Amino acid sequence: MAAMVRLSVRHFSCARGPALLSNQNAFESKSVYPAILPSTTAKSRSAKQRRVAEFFDQLRGSNVKDKLSSLTKLQRMKYVVYPQTFALNADKWYQHFTKTAYISELPEKYSMSAHETEKSNTLPQIDAAALAEIRTLVCNSLLQENCQVRKGRAPLLKELQYTVAPFLKNLSSGMTCVLAKQNPLLRSSTFDSEPQVNFYWLRGKRILPKGHRRGRPEPTRFQIDDKPHCQLRIPHQLPEFVPLRNEVSEEVPVVHLSPDRLPLFRRQYENHVYSGAKVDDPCCYGHTQFHLMPERLNRDRMSELHSEKQLEVTLRANAIASLFAWTGAQAMYQGFWSNEDLDRPFVSQAVITDGQYFSFFCYQLNTLALTDEAEVDNPRKNLCWGTKSMQLYENITDNDVIGLNDQVLRLLIQFLLNGA
Amino acid sequence: MARRLIFPLYQYGNPQLRVFRPNWFLTLVRPGKEQPPDTVQFRVPLEMTKYDVRNYLQKIYDVPVAAVRTRIQFGSNKKRNHLNQRVKRPDYKVAYVQLAQEQTFEFPNIFPEKDAKATEGSVEEMQEKFMEDEKQRQKPDPRRGGVTEWFGL
Repeated sequence: MAAMVRLSVRHFSCARGPALLSNQNAFESKSVYPAILPSTTAKSRSAKQRRVAEFFDQLRGSNVKDKLSSLTKLQRMKYVVYPQTFALNADKWYQHFTKTAYISELPEKYSMSAHETEKSNTLPQIDAAALAEIRTLVCNSLLQENCQVRKGRAPLLKELQYTVAPFLKNLSSGMTCVLAKQNPLLRSSTFDSEPQVNFYWLRGKRILPKGHRRGRPEPTRFQIDDKPHCQLRIPHQLPEFVPLRNEVSEEVPVVHLSPDRLPLFRRQYENHVYSGAKVDDPCCYGHTQFHLMPERLNRDRMSELHSEKQLEVTLRANAIASLFAWTGAQAMYQGFWSNEDLDRPFVSQAVITDGQYFSFFCYQLNTLALTDEAEVDNPRKNLCWGTKSMQLYENITDNDVIGLNDQVLRLLIQFLLNGA
Repeated sequence: MARRLIFPLYQYGNPQLRVFRPNWFLTLVRPGKEQPPDTVQFRVPLEMTKYDVRNYLQKIYDVPVAAVRTRIQFGSNKKRNHLNQRVKRPDYKVAYVQLAQEQTFEFPNIFPEKDAKATEGSVEEMQEKFMEDEKQRQKPDPRRGGVTEWFGL
């Protein structure tokens, strides 16, 4: 039995889909004789298709843990996608890998309530008392890390770890506590600190140029290993931003070059799909992730290099990769995979910050059918909304935060109030 | 710096102002595998580092460089000479330079296909016509079926 399963997993890599089989199944109801099925053991294309289809049927019937283990069992060289990448102009490539359309504003939910704070009915209102409370919380945690705690000079390229990481942890946990009064969902949420988030998927294919399997198609494999600074998981799903069938005008950029040219490198190790908790965890849906900006993207350094544009591009790539990985892992935990596409969209949010500048991203996972065979006439695409980075405060002097930006605070609060 | 660099020995009375340029040569090559439009491929000396390539292009040619990646290509050691000794092709370093400021580069087509006809009445045209006639005349008679021309009545 084990040998049979292993055999069929190997054939999964070159799956053609169960097209042939289903045709014959349809035939079966009319004809008197049983349909002539291809052999299961022959060395032919139709036999292989049958084996693959049988394997897929078996997978559809099995439970989530079995699905995950069979889908990630086969180890081959795979492209390792780094969310906080060093590559230039990575966002277009990442959009192509994850089939994500990027919209350079936040969903209507947030923009509406930002403009008409009085009339917003989708999100609960932010009353002045709560805002004041949050403001003191932010000021206190900023001053705590920047002025009140005596810290030595941070080692080179560890500055954000020294001051901003504790600030972000205080901020996110403190705000969650304060806002739990208005958003009962947060009361039952789980707060992960530096969790591990992984996702493994297939997308596109190439023809093998050499080796004993030369000339045969080989799916391209990708792996994301992400480590957000902290994240909030909740037991109920966040409401979708747009309905699943909605047409979105934004296009997904297509890159015809091989991912090596990004550059992306291939490695072989265990394939992981992990959303920060085990499959049985009751808090299996994502709410918000908080990321620290990579240290290399220091604003002064980037402006010295005249590449401020790259900063936003890298942040966007970071958001697309991390949120796709996280949301995809959540969807796979609910039993969906490339040949069993989502029946409801999955939603999560992310905040990326270097302490002073905050950027906000929302992600809606509409499809996991990204492999070449599953993607045929699948009009769905994943969606990512995002803002440019916005300044939270202008400066910190002794025991005073100057120029605190209320708009950023409001957005932060709205992000955490989502789902109330 | 480059290999075997011997500066002229300064002797008292020689001119003071000396300009040193690296004696390195970068070869712009057509990429064997397709590259993104903002990436340019060079063959550079093995001693050159990424920073050297960046400085070379930025300081001498004013090319905005965003990123440089290098690798060393192993030259084949498989060929043998007439004494059955191995013949090594030299290694070289390949540099992939990504251009900044959204500049793009496409390797020019140095040998474009000539499809333009020579102008009528020109010497080239007459020459071409003559050559064609000659070729026609040189061809053997198809009716003879490949039998040599000295054979027959």
